[in-house]
Amino acid sequence: MATHSVLALYSNAEYAAEAGEALDNAGFSKEDYEFLTDTPYPEGALGERHSSHRLYVFPFVGALIGLTAAILLTSGTQLAYPLVTGGKPILSIPPMAIITYEGTMLGAILFTVIGIIFESRLPTTKKHIYDDRITEGLIGVVVDCDDNTVDRAEQILTQAGAEEVRREAA
Amino acid sequence: MTTTADNNRDRVQITVDGPELNSRMVTEQVSRDFFNVTRNYRWLVAILGSVFVIGIIALILRFLDGFGVSERAQWGYYSAMFAFLLITAGSAPLVAVGLRWTKNHWRRPFSRVSELYAAVGLLTILWFLPLMALLPPLEGRRSLWVSDEFIGVPLWWDFFAVLGLVVCGLTLLVLSAIPDMAVLARHGDDGPRARLLRSISGFWRGSQSQWNYHRIGLTALGAFYFMLLIMVQTMINVDFVMSLVPGWKDSIMPAHQALTGLQTAIGLVLVTTFILRATGRYKDFIPMESFWSFSKILLALCLLWAYFWFAALITFWYGRTPTELNVLSTFMFESYRIPFLLNFFFSFLIPFLILIWNPVRKSVLGPTLAGASVLIGAFFMTIRLYVPAFGIEDVTGHTLKAVQPAILPDVLDIFIILGGLAGAALIYLLASRIFPILSIWEVKEGLLYQRVRPLLRSKFLVLGKPD
Repeated sequence: MATHSVLALYSNAEYAAEAGEALDNAGFSKEDYEFLTDTPYPEGALGERHSSHRLYVFPFVGALIGLTAAILLTSGTQLAYPLVTGGKPILSIPPMAIITYEGTMLGAILFTVIGIIFESRLPTTKKHIYDDRITEGLIGVVVDCDDNTVDRAEQILTQAGAEEVRREAA
Repeated sequence: MTTTADNNRDRVQITVDGPELNSRMVTEQVSRDFFNVTRNYRWLVAILGSVFVIGIIALILRFLDGFGVSERAQWGYYSAMFAFLLITAGSAPLVAVGLRWTKNHWRRPFSRVSELYAAVGLLTILWFLPLMALLPPLEGRRSLWVSDEFIGVPLWWDFFAVLGLVVCGLTLLVLSAIPDMAVLARHGDDGPRARLLRSISGFWRGSQSQWNYHRIGLTALGAFYFMLLIMVQTMINVDFVMSLVPGWKDSIMPAHQALTGLQTAIGLVLVTTFILRATGRYKDFIPMESFWSFSKILLALCLLWAYFWFAALITFWYGRTPTELNVLSTFMFESYRIPFLLNFFFSFLIPFLILIWNPVRKSVLGPTLAGASVLIGAFFMTIRLYVPAFGIEDVTGHTLKAVQPAILPDVLDIFIILGGLAGAALIYLLASRIFPILSIWEVKEGLLYQRVRPLLRSKFLVLGKPD
């Protein structure tokens, strides 16, 4: 159970990546630490864990719900009021096309917004350890650890060339 | 606050002759400008606010003058203003979306400038509401919807499409700006704006998983914004122009409006960025090369604009049915000849003649002038399309029986248009006090991938691609 958060600050991205490797070698899991940056680094550049997510599912589900609702609405209306127009079949696709497209889009957008909020676990009241200098280009490495490993983590982070290392109770 | 990140090793050039920059410089300059509300800014807000209020008063007087389907002729200029807002500000966020997909680096200073126009969508959706009561029923006329039996056709579907576009644009803006808002929240004082930023972005730390969600969210929302925008432009053009003109059948016109949107989006972003640069802010982060690169796309779109116009014209020109001749005479060659010529010159001829010259293209001013030109052109395009369409009394039937006389703007129309333009600029200015106008994280990201390196006896910019 993590009881401490240790934050190390690096002015050089290479040192931060090396700190991650050293933590791996010391037996820390990739779930135990994360990198904090002020700009997106290419995925995997710092050696961070691959983060899985389900964000792509939300637009698909939303689009499907929107599409289904629009098809039900348009086909239901056409069946409820069966008027032959211009010799075309009662269930005709062209009049349904715009409404189904719009319904699909609106559903997808709505669910994407919901997905972003849900996957980001918002809103949150939990306070995380942070240092404002990360917004100026320093790279933070945060390690979640317990009483037994906190000293070791601090030692590893310092040896990797950290400018500063500090800890907070998680 | 001191940091060892601010040393020479971290500094990089993003242009061969440009200054050396680093992450800290970006944060400091944007923070300084963001929290510093200058006297000029206050004056500008006051002036734009006053013109906007005058526009609203003119709008109220226009309501008192008559409001309804039978009085829609006098709402033509109002309708044109709505179309102009939709075409320009509605399309502007697409610049950030599209260029982000291409993963180029010169787009970085333009990203937030373009996304910020999503805020103008608030005015666009309000501007649309009265139009819903001005559209005649579908019965007896052609329309995109084929049948009027569906619930809410066409007005509510138009409304929800525009609303969806506005919501998508605003979400895109907020999502894109969250990392920057978090930076500014940590660098601001305890004023109300810093507190607002903290409440919105307090959760953001910049962990790699957060950046992943951020990237995927922007990609998904960007794709939906693009797909929705083209549909909205098509629907609005068909419902508020073509279907009000009996017998007008043209598959190119809605696409032409959508294309004009792309063209004016670039124009609007170029002009706004030029103004930003001219005020002396962020000059180091907005190199000439960005304008130069953008000018090539604008040139291509100007040529495409002319092609679309010609393709639409030639069909009617050779068709020569009474309706086709009356449509050409009304919208181009007789009643609205002057707006049409202004449209043609400013949307195609002038920017084309500006942009074909490489030395002019390779400057800050040249592309900006071309951008301003396409904005003027688009304004007259909306006038020559939406005003006559709203002026046609009998929208039923199969043919446009006569050339429609021109409807000239009165004083109220002029003030409504000025009010609309001022309102859009006002919202943009106010939004720039909540969302930083320079995308901090994107400019910093650019510093990771750009280096000036010597090659033989010269220096060149070496670019990296993230994937």
